Amino acid sequence: MPNIVCCFKWVVDEAYIKPSSSGKIDLEWAEHKLSDYDRNAIEEAVRLQEAYGGSVTAVTVAPSDATKGIKDALSRGPEKAYFINSEELENLEPSQTSAILAQVIAQQIDYDLIICGEGSSDLYAQQVGPRLAEKLRIPCIAFVKKVEIDGGRLIAERKSDDGIEVVSAPLPALITVLPDINNPRVPGLKDTLAASKKPVEEISLEDLDTEYPALIIDKGLRAASLVRNCTRFGSTPEDIQAFVEAIKKTGIIDRG
Amino acid sequence: MYFKLTEEQELIRDNMREFARTYVDPVAVEIDENSRYPEEVIKKLAEGGWMGMPFPTEYGGAGVDYLTYAIAVEELSRSCAATGFTMSVHTGLACGPIFNFGTEEQKKKFLTPMAKGEHLGAFALTEPGAGTDVGAATSTAVLDGDEYVLNGVKTFTSNGPVANTYVTFAWTDKNDKRNGMTAFIVPRETPGLSVGEEFKKMGIRASQTSEIIFKDCRVPKENVLGKVGDGLKIAMNSFDHGRIGIAAQAVGIAQAALDESISYSKQRVQFGKPISRNQAIQWMIADMHTDITAGRFLYYYAAYLKDQGLPFTKEAAMAKVFCAEMCSKHASKAVQIHGGYGYCKGQKVERLMRDAKITEIYEGTSEAQRMVIAGNLLR
Repeated sequence: MPNIVCCFKWVVDEAYIKPSSSGKIDLEWAEHKLSDYDRNAIEEAVRLQEAYGGSVTAVTVAPSDATKGIKDALSRGPEKAYFINSEELENLEPSQTSAILAQVIAQQIDYDLIICGEGSSDLYAQQVGPRLAEKLRIPCIAFVKKVEIDGGRLIAERKSDDGIEVVSAPLPALITVLPDINNPRVPGLKDTLAASKKPVEEISLEDLDTEYPALIIDKGLRAASLVRNCTRFGSTPEDIQAFVEAIKKTGIIDRG
Repeated sequence: MYFKLTEEQELIRDNMREFARTYVDPVAVEIDENSRYPEEVIKKLAEGGWMGMPFPTEYGGAGVDYLTYAIAVEELSRSCAATGFTMSVHTGLACGPIFNFGTEEQKKKFLTPMAKGEHLGAFALTEPGAGTDVGAATSTAVLDGDEYVLNGVKTFTSNGPVANTYVTFAWTDKNDKRNGMTAFIVPRETPGLSVGEEFKKMGIRASQTSEIIFKDCRVPKENVLGKVGDGLKIAMNSFDHGRIGIAAQAVGIAQAALDESISYSKQRVQFGKPISRNQAIQWMIADMHTDITAGRFLYYYAAYLKDQGLPFTKEAAMAKVFCAEMCSKHASKAVQIHGGYGYCKGQKVERLMRDAKITEIYEGTSEAQRMVIAGNLLR
């Protein structure tokens, strides 16, 4: 009976992202939500548990105020959560998230299978799953659309550029799942109420006693804006030159 | 004062939104067009534990507060006002009085399957000659041995044709206008109970409405709800509860009208720019949001008072009349923003405008709400 770990991210709900008048992104009133494909990851973990037994544990790395996200994840079926948090955990990049997850999972969780969404709804870097597998030194199968467990192995159908591959790997292993893999169930009222009573293991980043330096530094976020100038360009070399001049003039490109 | 829902309330609201998007939005147009009772949606609501939200778990409910329940009604009504109303009338007007006035045995026998959503409830009070004037009812209940014999015709009974359990009212003493009416719980299969004419309505068409006819309908004495003669009190108390649900439903409809208006006005281009750049449209949108927010806090407040065990009759009436009227006004404005398209089938606002009107009428007309409010202020 497999012990399954599903990882999830609590992200800004894109419906609330608004540009401020200064052109920056205003997130002050933004609501958060469970990252879309992580819903598929949790759902798949719960379905596998229904089919094969075992346990489902949800794990996240998030700022300390993301407690609603923990309840949300637990309302979707996992019986326990690990909430790795710190007040400073804003805007983590995949190398940091995967390193933190790897340390906690390796030290504290007994697992046979780890399921991640193919990417998060905010950054969509698609890095955390493969990096986490690499750090744990277990096989990784990404972009999975169907999975079964057969004894000590898992058999997965994964989407590649050339079509569907059917691959197998020994457990423990990690998969990242596509949205096609399932339709996540809608938690009922009683699931939500029960979620508040499920055990949550809180781990403060300070307890881990390791530095996780960022490799990428955010210099700032700017909102995209759309301005219609209603100018038409043809495809002759002169037109293309005129087009380049026009966008240079607006400041969109400035290298000659 | 703390102006924030709890995490649990927010999650429940979000889950109902997810439920409504997944199961209700795909059928909302069809059930409106065909006046079809969405049995499969109600079954899903029951499975999710949404059909008995504010009742204790020992009676099959979920044990959440009334505010959380009302928020769920708002979210459901945002997708389909008829489905929201089916849930609201079942919870507020049918389960509510059995929970508030029923004996332990009645709660076990009738409320539990209702709160689990296995049985649907209806509230049969209105009669052809007795709308706001409840005292003009003519239905009678005469004790014969251990049974009351009910005779009379109830009309505009919401959930009437599809309910399993009816809470109804009849005179046990016609001469006592104050303490002569009694409430009864009547199961659908009771001989002498039949469904009369089914009404074709302008809006909330997926909610089923009919006459309920009692002809020598024999109801055992133990189905008397509350004490003999408490009927009027039970009816009025039930309306206090129900009105919070209708206020929430009206806010849900109005919010949907705003959602549609924002997205349409940003993409509809006239005179070379989206109509949302016109101040005339901006003002309508601003007024909608302002009134919706005011209405939402009015019903939150009424529900909060109820949850605190404080008097809430006046506040429920205030929430109901304000939300209903602003809902009608803004659903009509939303059609205005959509222009000719909004007047045609295929745009949600066409349905919203038809659905909105009923909130000013049922569970006490706007005029009746003002009577309640003024009565409270001037007594």
